[in-house]
Parts: sequence; structure tokens; C-alpha cells
Amino acid sequence: MSRPAAIVFDQASVAYGRVPALEQVHGTVHQGEIVALVGPNGAGKSTLIKALLGLVPVASGSISVLGRPPALARRQVAYVPQADTLDPDFPVSVAQVVLMGRYRRIGWLRPPGRADRDAAAEALAAVGLAHRAADRFGTLSGGQRQRVLLARAIAAQPAALLLDEPFNGVDAVSQEALLATIRALAAGGAAVVVSTHDLGLAQLTCDGICLLNRHQFGFGPPGEVLTPDLLRAAYGGAALELGDRGLIVARS
Amino acid sequence: MTLFSSLGDGYVRRALLEVVIVGVLCGAVGVHVVLRRLSFLTMALTHATFPGVVIATMLGLGLVLGAGLFGVLLVAVVAALTGPRGAEHGRETSSVTAVVLSGGFALGMALMSTQEGFSRDLTAFLVGSVLTVAPSDLVVSAVTTAVVLGVLAALRKELHLAAFDPDAFAAAGYPARRLDLVLLLALEATVVTSLPAVGTIMAVALIVGPAATARLWCSRTATMTAMAMVVGVAAGVIGLAVSEQWNVAAGGAIVLSVAAFFVVSLVLQSLPWGEPAAAALGRRKSAGRPTYSG
Repeated sequence: MSRPAAIVFDQASVAYGRVPALEQVHGTVHQGEIVALVGPNGAGKSTLIKALLGLVPVASGSISVLGRPPALARRQVAYVPQADTLDPDFPVSVAQVVLMGRYRRIGWLRPPGRADRDAAAEALAAVGLAHRAADRFGTLSGGQRQRVLLARAIAAQPAALLLDEPFNGVDAVSQEALLATIRALAAGGAAVVVSTHDLGLAQLTCDGICLLNRHQFGFGPPGEVLTPDLLRAAYGGAALELGDRGLIVARS
Repeated sequence: MTLFSSLGDGYVRRALLEVVIVGVLCGAVGVHVVLRRLSFLTMALTHATFPGVVIATMLGLGLVLGAGLFGVLLVAVVAALTGPRGAEHGRETSSVTAVVLSGGFALGMALMSTQEGFSRDLTAFLVGSVLTVAPSDLVVSAVTTAVVLGVLAALRKELHLAAFDPDAFAAAGYPARRLDLVLLLALEATVVTSLPAVGTIMAVALIVGPAATARLWCSRTATMTAMAMVVGVAAGVIGLAVSEQWNVAAGGAIVLSVAAFFVVSLVLQSLPWGEPAAAALGRRKSAGRPTYSG
């Protein structure tokens, strides 16, 4: 791969206080690549995303984001949380949520300008929801809310994009729209890290897979990581054998 | 109405001005309290400020100065005890808040019981005494309101994002803890400023009530803020009018007006035609043009 590295994990371990959450993550996400974080519940996927944002300290080894420690790269990194963690009754319009992606760029004390509104409108159009701009955020479906949060991230024009379980409980239309937008962003050179339960989706759409369960079981192309042996090792009892035809991973 | 006929009296004019100022301040700050679900913390701050009032009176310090200094100390204690917000192993905020609430109030009661013949004056601090507001209190209220409104307006983008999506706010590299502290100080300044009008106990109603009422009707934070300030002022003026008319305690009448606004709004919202009425105010899907205003 000749593209420059965007995110580098070097034997990184992450801990909450003295409790280790995730150990020995090692691998590289290049610019323009989409890498899926895959593993059972509690595997440390969200923790790894928090570590990439500098919100959880790296206990040993190192994580480098765009050539810097994670906490210093935040302005060029956009984060997309799970839509259902947000209050659906919050008095805010779809357009305002997208505009929030520009706040860091605008800076303290200044109001958003013409260019910010244009960028927000463009980002909302990119996820196919321009017609819902004036609606209250909470009136949208779960999948549409997830798309709005992705639009907010795009409006920030990030060099790296981190998504926490964006496909959970999302309808097929919104899933397609999310995937298309993520692919377009990666094609534009952004490095994308997305945590997901959906192994099929990860296999079909990602350039790389990071298989986790408290520590790393594999990091590389889907064909090399999503193998029965590695999945069995990572998922343990949640992996069901199908004789010689492979195995099924049950969602925990 | 008795309120208008008694406007010739200086103390009634001062009381009216005070409830207007405090109504605006509490309405604006209350929006942030309601959106961030800090109602319980506000309750704690109002109760825990009470010993500050007692100490200030015992030492002969100015009421607002004493309560204000104690309030800043209190904010520091709450901030230190709750630990980094969002940290997985941070302490549970509501338990800390409950202990601070009851502990602060108990300290106030204990201090009060050591003073002979003290209790009558302190009733005023508990439930308010807006009709005895001094011109200097008015100046303090006006200055606090101007400063707090200025801070809230200057930080409105960041406060909005932090309230809506605290994870994304921290992830964007904003100093989330420092912004929380600024909001906590603004809240404590509001509590201290509302003391002369409604007292420590009822200040929470004036902060949370109008904002909670506005939230039932509004689909934008800007309209919610405007409506909360209007409800805060209206409740103050109505309460004062009721107090003058029927000779009931002003603090109680004001808080009852706040409660009435909230209950009536709840009832209207639950009626069959509550939905269209709310839609007319932009609560539901609106047909207006997109607004990308921050």
C-alpha cells in the first residue's frame, strides 16, 4: 500500500485507571482506507475509538493519529456517535445539528458565516436529507438521525472519521446512504474507522478488519482476518460451528 | 388591581423591577439547566447555599456577598467531588449531589439553631422577601444578569453543542470541564441573585419551571430561551400582583404562578388540539424554510 499512514497503532494498550480494557493493538490505517473494528460486545471497540479521540489514555505502546498523539489531532478528526445516545426531545433542528460540525472551525465567540451554512447544507445533501433541514432532529427516524450525524462529521471536512456502531438499528435505505457517503469520504482521502457488529457488512465494504476481544486477534484484509479460526478465538462460545462449512457468529 | 395602585410606593416598584430582572435571568439560565438535566443539581445548589446565607448574616457580611462566596466554594466542591464528567469510573453525580444538598441544608439549620431569636429573619431567606429588596440588591441583580446573559450569549454555540452531544463536544477537543464550570458558576450566581426575591428553597422553581414550561412548546433552543424568559417575568409579575391583591407571601405566589404555567402547559399539550397548537409554535414538523442559524 503506497498511500500514507493516517492512524498507526504500535502495540497499544488502553486502560481505565488500572483496569486494562484493551491490549496489544497493532496495525495501520492508511489514508483513503475504511477499517472495521469487529468483535463481541464489551470487546473494547468503543474504548479503542475513545482512545483514538484522546479521551482514554494509552497505557503502553502508542497510538498516532495523523502523525500526532490523539489528543492533538482532534481538530482534524470527526466523531460520529450512535444516534440513539442523543436526546430525541432536544430542541434543535436538523440544519443546526449539521452546522455543529463547523463550530470548531468557526472558533469561540464568532457566529457561523455564509461558508459554514453552505458547507452544512452540502453535507446534509450528501446524506440525502436536504429536505428535512428545518425539521426538529428528534422527528427523524433512527437511521435518518444517524445520517444527520454523519453529515455533521462531513461538514467538519475531517482527515479521519471515527464511527461508533453507525449501522445499529438502521433501516436498509439509511444503511445504503451511510455506506455510500462513507465510501465517498474515503475516496476523497479520509481514513475511516468504523466499529460494527455486522461481519457481513464489514467483509463487503471495508479494506481492513481489526478483530478484537480485550486484545487483538487480527488486523489486516478481510480475507485474512475473518477466518473461522480467528473468529472462533475472538468470539469463543458465541461462534457456532456449521460442520465443515464454516461458522456462524451469534450477536450477543 | 392593587399592584398598580400601589406602584407609587418605592418598595413595590423595586419589587416589580427585581422580579422582572430575576425572571429574565432565571429563564435564560434555566434553559441550560433543563437541557442538561441539571434540575437536581440546581436543587442542591439552592439548598447548600443556605448555610452561606446564615454565616453571612451571623458575621454581618452582605447577604449576597456572603452567599456568593459560599456558592463559589460550593461549586468548587461539587466540581471536585463529581470528577471528570463522562469518565467510566467517575462518581455517580446524583448521589454526590444528594449528599451536598442535605449536608448543606443541615449545616444551615444547625448554624441557625445556635442563634437566639434568629429564625424569623431567616424565614425570609428560605422563602424570599421581595418586598424588602433594597436598591443595592437591584444593582447586584442587574449587574449579575448582564454578566451572565453576556456569557451565555458569547458561548451559545459551545453550550448548545455540549448540552446536545457531550461526547462529540469532548471528542472535538473542547475543554468540556471548564465549560461545565463556567455554567455552574453562572448557575450559582443566578441562585444567589434570586435569593432576595424567592429565597433559597424556591429559587429552583424559578430557574427550572419557566424553562421546563418553554420546552413543552418550543422546537428550537432560541425560541425556548425567549419563552422561558417571558414566562419567568410573567410569573414574577403575576405572583407579585396576587401577593399585593390578597396579601399572600410574594415568594410563594411567584412560585405558584410558575407551577401554574407548567401545569397548564402540560394539560394543553395532552389535549387533542394540543398538537396543532404546538405545531403553530413550531414544535412539530414545520414548513418554514431551512434555518442554519447557530
